[in-house]
Order: sequence, then structure tokens, then C-alpha cells
Amino acid sequence: MGSGGAMGRRALGALAAAVAVMALAVGLAACGSGGGGEGGAVKLEGEPSGNVTISNWPLYIDPGKNGTVKEFEKATGIDVKYIEDVNDNAEFFGKMQPLLEQGESGGRSLFVVTDWMAKKMDDLGYLQSLDKAGIPNVEKNLVASLQHPGFDPNREFSVPWQSGMGGLIVRTDLAPEVRSICDLFDPKYKGKVDFLSELRETVPLVMTCEGTNPEEATEEDWMKAIEKIKGAVESGQIRRFTGNDYARDLTSGDAVAAIGWSGDAVQLQADNPNIEFRMPELGCSLWSDNMVIPVGAPNPTAAEAWMNYVYVPQNQAKIAEYVNYVTPVEGVKRIFEKSEPELAESDLIFPSAEFTKKCFTQAQLSEEEEQPVTQAWNAVLNG
Amino acid sequence: MAERRRIVPYFLLGPGTIWLLLFFVVPLFYMGYLSLESGVVGSLSFSWNWGNYSDALSLYDTQFARSFLYSGVATLICLLVAYPLAYTIAFRAGRWRNALLFAVVAPFFTTYLIRTLAWQTILSDQSPAVGVLRFVGLVPENGHVLATGGAVIAGLVYNFLPFMILPIYASLEQIDERLIEAAKDLYASSRAAFVRVTLPLSAPGIVAGTLLTFIPATGDYVNAQFLGSAGNQMIGNVIQSLYKTQLDYPAAAALSFVLMALIMVVVLIYIRFAGSEALMGEDTL
Repeated sequence: MGSGGAMGRRALGALAAAVAVMALAVGLAACGSGGGGEGGAVKLEGEPSGNVTISNWPLYIDPGKNGTVKEFEKATGIDVKYIEDVNDNAEFFGKMQPLLEQGESGGRSLFVVTDWMAKKMDDLGYLQSLDKAGIPNVEKNLVASLQHPGFDPNREFSVPWQSGMGGLIVRTDLAPEVRSICDLFDPKYKGKVDFLSELRETVPLVMTCEGTNPEEATEEDWMKAIEKIKGAVESGQIRRFTGNDYARDLTSGDAVAAIGWSGDAVQLQADNPNIEFRMPELGCSLWSDNMVIPVGAPNPTAAEAWMNYVYVPQNQAKIAEYVNYVTPVEGVKRIFEKSEPELAESDLIFPSAEFTKKCFTQAQLSEEEEQPVTQAWNAVLNG
Repeated sequence: MAERRRIVPYFLLGPGTIWLLLFFVVPLFYMGYLSLESGVVGSLSFSWNWGNYSDALSLYDTQFARSFLYSGVATLICLLVAYPLAYTIAFRAGRWRNALLFAVVAPFFTTYLIRTLAWQTILSDQSPAVGVLRFVGLVPENGHVLATGGAVIAGLVYNFLPFMILPIYASLEQIDERLIEAAKDLYASSRAAFVRVTLPLSAPGIVAGTLLTFIPATGDYVNAQFLGSAGNQMIGNVIQSLYKTQLDYPAAAALSFVLMALIMVVVLIYIRFAGSEALMGEDTL
């Protein structure tokens, strides 16, 4: 530094030039972005063929040579590029948003997001409405309970991939008495409970402890529940916030109970019989991950062919057997009764109306609520 | 000929300069631009919004303080562990020297992430390590180490230790042992010879090691993510969360600049205090 001379001045000149070029580039980029709008509708074009790119969450389909993707390719002649790049709704949104804003999908013909994110994307005009002529199996086999969700009453733009329940996962040998979300606040389990970092799962479940129905919660209710969780963080009650990685803590016994997802519990229990999903006494949260077709999606015809294919009960049975979440397709249970009788009995894969009677649909936040609530939540997570 | 000779140095500087411009100056400029924008993703606009900076400081002062505390403590522990080790390798290891140096570097054959995740097992509640800590009373009977600030500091120490050992080793290794012999010939005790000869001569290594440890450790977020809990998040975690989940790019960019500035201030004070001679080596100035 401070050597001065011709060298210093020349370097400075080069730097100034580079900065100027960059400024111009940024300026141009800034001019390019426009507003949102309607996402348009899928236009089917003849027989499905060609290539299709599908984005999904990791470990959310049966893999391998005889897996669903390969079978679909064999059955239709469509070339599938199946990528597992959705790890978190908000993160995925962050990655896709600049593209979707330009009416592009980064080559993706179809991706899978949770209810609230599907709604948010549709509100922004990032999704195409489906042509139901291409997906007769969905019309025929979608289970009744998922046909008219609040965010998409006629399933115009979303088709469930899998559904699931958010509730309690308990180490029955270490914390046999945990039966409700409120029990997680019992000082007996101090430093031994994990909560999900997912705002829309954890906070509504905690609300039930305050006697609030999450489906009718106001911003104040959200804030109150967040405050309660914050207190539990500060007292050391909550060990940490996790995604699926609560699996590690439960397996090692570092955590004796966690807020977690039904499908994970089925898989964890297979390895360790002391781990079990418990329906919280005050109800669980119900959600679906949905297949959607974004704006600018190449080959939407093939994307709809994929939706249609996974709604054939025989095809769906293979996925359901592998992922162990709640299948949205009617008729899978009858197949399991013959091939996998113990899975057919499971309340976690085929929950009866009785089993989920106290459960609530995963809560939505209105546009005005979203900003302050997520901000308060992140302040807790990043304490 | 003379003409030519004057051009050569610039030519040699070329690759480095281009690299710095492309991967440091340009992104830095873009980040600076971003940090002064306002609005939400999709409708960000440039508005000289300095509010992002004041927000960064007022909203996240706890995490800033925590980051400097954690990395400061980790750097200190690293120094206390690294110096005797480097000294042993340099002067006492004999034919084991290369083997020991290899052992210092060996963990790098595994990725950073895996090494950090391994500490989840080492510090797990039922692990022997934590059992010992409980036995000697450092951890309460039903307490835990994982998911605490202590675990984050332990992870930082472990991950950055080689960056402290290697520069100190390099400077110790260069010391002419005859100087120490001379000190002893002049009736210096071993202690005096160490304090007045060895230590000053290894100061450049100490300064380089502290900087190589302290600077990246302050911005680290992996250790806090995997070994800490909600109350132990560092500023890197906040920046990551602002970028990736909250999508508040301007705030994240402003926070990054504030972090950079604060580290710069701390480092400048440190160099001033430690003396730039030690940093640069005596010969160069």
C-alpha cells in the first residue's frame, strides 16, 4: 500500500474502469426486471414425448433401475432429468424467484413445493393453471380429503405429490410420557427436545397449547406462541432447531422428543423400535407437497403425463412404499393389503378420519402477517 | 532492453490483478450496490438506503459481539495449543518431524463439513468425552456440551488449529539455533533465551497464525450451525439466513460490509499493537 508512482495510478485507472463497467451492467440488469402477472395456462401439444426436467425434494421417490422414474421413461418414451434440488421452500423460492420473475423456470418443467409456497407462487403469477384433459387419473384417484384445499379449491394449479403430518416423535424408552406438544415444555426434559425450524409447522403446534385454533389464528396469536418458544430457548429447554436432522439427535438419545414429520418417524422406527410418532393430544398439522408447473416450463405436456402416471395406484404404491408419507392416491391401500399388510395398517401412511380428527390444515399467513411474523421467528432462530 | 524490463513486472502482476478484480473488486462493488437498495426481492431498487447499515448494527449487535468473543477465545486457545506443539515439532521431533507435520495436515484430507459433523458424535451427550467432563465436574450431571457455545468454540479451535500451527512452525524452523546457543553462552537461562531470542524471532509466525485463525473464525457459520443452538448463532449464520431463507439481500449485504469493516478495525489495532515489523519480518522494512 502507498507505494504510489505510475503503477499505483494505472492500477487505480483500471479499477475505475472495471467499476464503471460493472455499474453499467448492474444498471442494465435493474432495468430488465418487470412486475408479476398471470401465469397463463398449460397448452397440451399432441402425444407427450421429448425431455422433461423434474425438481423434487431429496429421498422423495423410489430410486434405482426399477424405480418410478425409469419405469415412466420405459412406459412413455419421455426422457426424464430428475433433480433433487428442493431442500427448503423459502430457499428454493430465493433461487427460483429471479428466473420466474422473467417468466423462466431454469429448464424445469415441474417442481414440488408445500401448500403455502404453491399459493405464494400462484399469487405472484409464477404458476400455470393445469389442463385437466392431460391428467384424468388425478381427477379419478385423488383422495377426497385433498380435492378442495383452501389455497386451491378446485386444484387449478397444484396436484399433491405426498402429504404428511407434523407432530411428535418420541423416544419411548427415554420420554414415555410425552403425549402433547405442551409436554415438550416440561422442565423434566430440559435441553432434550428439538423443535423444527419450519415456522409454519412449529408455531401452530405450539399455539394449540395456548388453546388457540391455528386455522383461526391472528397475528397476535402467532407472536404469543413465538414468545413462548423464545422463552424456552432462553431457559435452555429447547436443545436446538432442526430440519430432518432431528433424526440424529433422536437416534443418539441427545434428544428424547422432537417436533417432526410422520414419514421420517416410520423410517426411523424401522431402524430403532424405540422411536415412534405420536399424534399430539391437541392435534397435528396436515400439509401436502404439490407438483406445480411453473411459467416458462418447457414441455408441459410431458409434465402433465408425469402427474398422470404417478396417479395410477400401482405406480403410486411403489413411491408410497419407499417414502412412507401419506399417499394422496386412492386405491393404494388395497394394493398394500395384499403386498405389504403391515404398511396398510399404518395410521401414518393411511390415516383414518378418526386418527386425524383434531388435526388442522397447515396454517397460512396473510401477506400483511408474513413479514412481521417471519422476522420475529428468525430472531428466535438466530438468537 | 530497459523498456522491456520495466514492463515485465506489470506482466507478472497481471494474473493476480485480474483475479482480484474479477473475484474480489467486482463482487465487492456489486455487494456494496446491493447493500444500499431497498424493497423486497423482485422489486429491489437502489436508493442510497444507509438504513440497512444502522439496522445491521442495531438488530444484530448481540451476534456481532458473540462472533468476536467466540473467535477471540478460539484464537487464544489455538495459540496456547499450537505454540508448544510447533516448538516441539521444530526443535525436538528429530526424525519424527515430517510424520508430525503430516499429522497436523492430515485432517484436511477430509472436508470441513464432515470434520465438523464428527464433533457432533464426539460431544454427544452419551459420549466418553462428555462423560469425563461430567466426572470432573466441568459439566453438570444432566447438562450437555453439544448445542452450547462451548461446543462452537471447540469446533472453531479444532478446525482452525492447523492455520495457527503451520505459520508458527515455519518461523520457528527458520531460527538459527546458534543464536540460542549464543544466548546460553552469555549466561542466559533457558527461560531467558526463550523469552529474549526464540519468542521474538517467532513473532511473525504468531501474528500470521492469529490472523489466519481469527479472521475466518469470526465469519464462520458452519460450527455454530452444527454444534450450536439458537442462542449461539454467529454473525455468519445471520447473513446466511438473511440471504437464503429470509431473502433480505440488502440487509445481508450491509451486514457483510459491517462485518468486514469491524474485522478490519480489530486487525488494524492488533497489527499496530503487535507491530508491523513482526508481521512483515525484520528484513523487509
